Amino acid sequence: MKTNPLIGLSWHLVFIVLIFILLFPIIFAVGTSFRPLEDAYNNVLQFIPLHPTFENYEAFFTSLDVARIMMNTFFIAAGITIFKVVTSFLAAYAFVYLDFKGKNLLYFLFISTMFIPFAVTMIPNYLVLSDIGLTDSVWGVMLPQFADAVGIFLIRQSMKTIPPSLIEVAKVDSIGHWLIMKDIVLPLVKPAVTSTGIWFFILAWNEYVWPVLILKNVENFTLPLALQMYISSEGGTNFTVAMAVSVITMIIPLTLYLFFQRYIIGTFTSSGIK
Amino acid sequence: MEAIQTFAKPKIIKDHWKAYLLLIPSLVTFVLFMFWPFLYTVYLSFFDWNMVSPTKEFVGLQNYIDVLKDPITYKIFCNTLIYMALLLIINCAVPYVLAFVIDLVLSRFKNFYKGAIFLPSVISLVVGSILFTWLLNPVSGPAAIILGWFGIEMPVWSKLDGWVITVLSLITSWKIFGYNFIILFASINGISREVIEAARLDDIPLWRIFFKIVLPMSSSTGIYVFIITIAQGLQYVFTPIKVITQGGPNYSSANTIYHAYHEAFVLYRTGHSAALSILTMAIFLLLLILEFKFVERGIHYEN
Amino acid sequence: MIQFENVCKSYGDIEVVKNLNLTIHEGERLVLLGPSGCGKSTTLRMIAGLEDITSGSLYMGNKKVNDVPSGIRNVSMVFQNYALYPHMNVVNNITYGLKVKKIPKAEIKKRLDFALEMLQLKGYEKRLPKDLSGGQRQRVALARAIVKQSDYFLLDEPLSNLDARLRVSARKELLRIHEQFKQTFVYVTHDQIEAMTVGNRVALMYKGEIQMVDTPENVYQRPVNIFTAKFIGSPPMNILDATFHQDRLMIGMQSIILNEEWIQHIFDSKVKNFAFGIRPGHLEIVTVPQKNSLKAKVKYVENHGNNYAVYTDIEGSEMIVMSDKKDWYPGEMVYVNPDSTKIHLFDKETTETIGQPVVKENKFLNRVLV
Repeated sequence: MKTNPLIGLSWHLVFIVLIFILLFPIIFAVGTSFRPLEDAYNNVLQFIPLHPTFENYEAFFTSLDVARIMMNTFFIAAGITIFKVVTSFLAAYAFVYLDFKGKNLLYFLFISTMFIPFAVTMIPNYLVLSDIGLTDSVWGVMLPQFADAVGIFLIRQSMKTIPPSLIEVAKVDSIGHWLIMKDIVLPLVKPAVTSTGIWFFILAWNEYVWPVLILKNVENFTLPLALQMYISSEGGTNFTVAMAVSVITMIIPLTLYLFFQRYIIGTFTSSGIK
Repeated sequence: MEAIQTFAKPKIIKDHWKAYLLLIPSLVTFVLFMFWPFLYTVYLSFFDWNMVSPTKEFVGLQNYIDVLKDPITYKIFCNTLIYMALLLIINCAVPYVLAFVIDLVLSRFKNFYKGAIFLPSVISLVVGSILFTWLLNPVSGPAAIILGWFGIEMPVWSKLDGWVITVLSLITSWKIFGYNFIILFASINGISREVIEAARLDDIPLWRIFFKIVLPMSSSTGIYVFIITIAQGLQYVFTPIKVITQGGPNYSSANTIYHAYHEAFVLYRTGHSAALSILTMAIFLLLLILEFKFVERGIHYEN
Repeated sequence: MIQFENVCKSYGDIEVVKNLNLTIHEGERLVLLGPSGCGKSTTLRMIAGLEDITSGSLYMGNKKVNDVPSGIRNVSMVFQNYALYPHMNVVNNITYGLKVKKIPKAEIKKRLDFALEMLQLKGYEKRLPKDLSGGQRQRVALARAIVKQSDYFLLDEPLSNLDARLRVSARKELLRIHEQFKQTFVYVTHDQIEAMTVGNRVALMYKGEIQMVDTPENVYQRPVNIFTAKFIGSPPMNILDATFHQDRLMIGMQSIILNEEWIQHIFDSKVKNFAFGIRPGHLEIVTVPQKNSLKAKVKYVENHGNNYAVYTDIEGSEMIVMSDKKDWYPGEMVYVNPDSTKIHLFDKETTETIGQPVVKENKFLNRVLV
């Protein structure tokens, strides 16, 4: 692209500024989390710790059963991911490779779930889970999230990229749907399934809205809920500990992102919405 | 030629039960936790109930009337519209232009920029709220200090009407900007290079290329991003609202979704909450129609 | 044996195959030929069971198979893009279908070895499709089809993705396979040369209808309608408007004198308006006019390697003539001599041929034209 180099440079500058705005908070948080509280108060802008300390993290680990909270978060995220991926894969397969009455209607219904706002379902869901005694439990968080129309959509898009002649060859060899699903389609959509799975995991890990409604006792909290306890809109007394908790909450998603960045972004670029 | 036997195994019926079997897990989940609750909420909107008492009092349309007559409701609807406008400008218009630039104007560091811009999307909005609450602390936060060097006093945004919505929108945008950006980038990147090259050979200026070629050719994605920015953006804002301001000061940062939550789980007025939610559904229904009209068609044409 | 009885196929309002009646004999190689959109692939897919039949009946081996699922029809299919499973290696691609059918391992190995040997794929067993060349992938697709040992072999433009040289060797391989297994081959192509070399019989299709079904020789030498005449042969047959006047065939202002048998035949046919057809190779350019010469103006000359195609204009219509010489100049007036034994006449309205006259058997020449 032959453009005026000055224009190119100024755009690069725009991006650098943008990225700074987006990433600086994280860097600041990491740095500040290793600073002792007084230090941080006295010299706010100095986010690189001169006297790094673990005291903030210790404070967090001693005040709460962090191990248990992390287990809760992990269990919920893993559970939701597995269920969503499996149900989405099966449903997507049905929509792509099977012909049945009401196909279009069902697809419409499934997609429409993406447009039902949380506020419209929260009361009844809460009541039902409360009635069966699943409030304050990981299953209470997971149960309403066993399926996801986004997952169905993404996996379906990926299945559509498989040349139909591959399936036709199998049909002519009288290979049944179950085997086609297992031996032919699944291996070929593995990248999309994996990246959708990683995305669901991250989303579930970070979730706040539904868990905050369902989970009551601190020991059943997930990390975002625990984190919320360290915030106050005045800026808080112990913001360095808040930073430490933030870092802990960010670690897993960030690590996943660093390793699987291609995959995750790929979910939305290749098989993605076009 | 006589047919001696006919192996009529009707293929269609055979497919039916298999399809339903595969769909049941998702379908059951959706029916139990999306469709039925929706209907129940509609039902609740006609009753006065505080979530605990064993009886509900039927009040007909009274909840709707209460909600519509309440001046707070208007404030909240206005807030919602402002949120929508801000979210759209920051997360729809801006990423569109930037995605265009990164695809067609820049030649280096593209992957780094994409990776960096998308990063906040994988971070919890609770974390984002905490980070920005501190960074933007009007008294002792870094931003306030830097502004102080220029003699500017930072407004106490969490207490000021217009400012609070702006800041909460910015925090939410921090998270959703990257996601929209990547999707738009993918669409623009998918436009055939030859079309763009032909335009460049004809010496058409870049801004023209953007408006006359790129925008129309990526329009179905553009509309999709528009739709989800509203649908998901309004729901995402719930988190910073709950975590930072709880709807305050004096309901000036609440949107309809947060307020519906507030009515149900803080004020225990389920009838009001339900009515408000249903009214909000009107917006979402509109979005759903738009999605099917403009987006699904765009995707189906390749089939 | 495959039999189509009044078979129609529509997608909604669009009729893709119209009233198809066709019998494919056991063990023959039948080629479905035609331009894109003529319905040949659809017809093939109906045999495979990959397309439903809108109306009519399809019989395979005397059984009506309209509703029989593909898998039970005892059919092997080779696709244009080979349809190899990208994540399976050569051996798995070839044997997957057999494994699913629970054929005993020893038998699978036997068939696999035979196919690998026959198609020269030994040594490539562990490779994935992405590590194979186009020609190798095609051979794997063939191997997969062979090991099934089915009665019917369906091929949908299997050679069109290969370059010209490979195509020739691939064709030979196909014929070898047929020689070996003697299945019924149904082969779809848009390439007439391929059709003529591969097929025992050629079924030419156009717009969903069969134009002609016959041996390659007959399709070339005795086309039954104008479409067939123009489609087969390269450069295509010249077709000009003509009428009959007394004993002459009038092409514009010029005329050709025909022999008695023709005159009688034309008279018997009761046709008034004709399309006169003759292949470029059956015409000769001369500088000195002869009995049936037509006056023509040269437009341009095309180099065809071992000879030249001279494009001329006769009375406003184009006439292509093959010539050994290339020095004919645009604008030059020449004389074109038709070989009167190679004339075709078609009824302009019905586009059908009026046939060839019966020549009285000549004891010396012993030649009969039907």
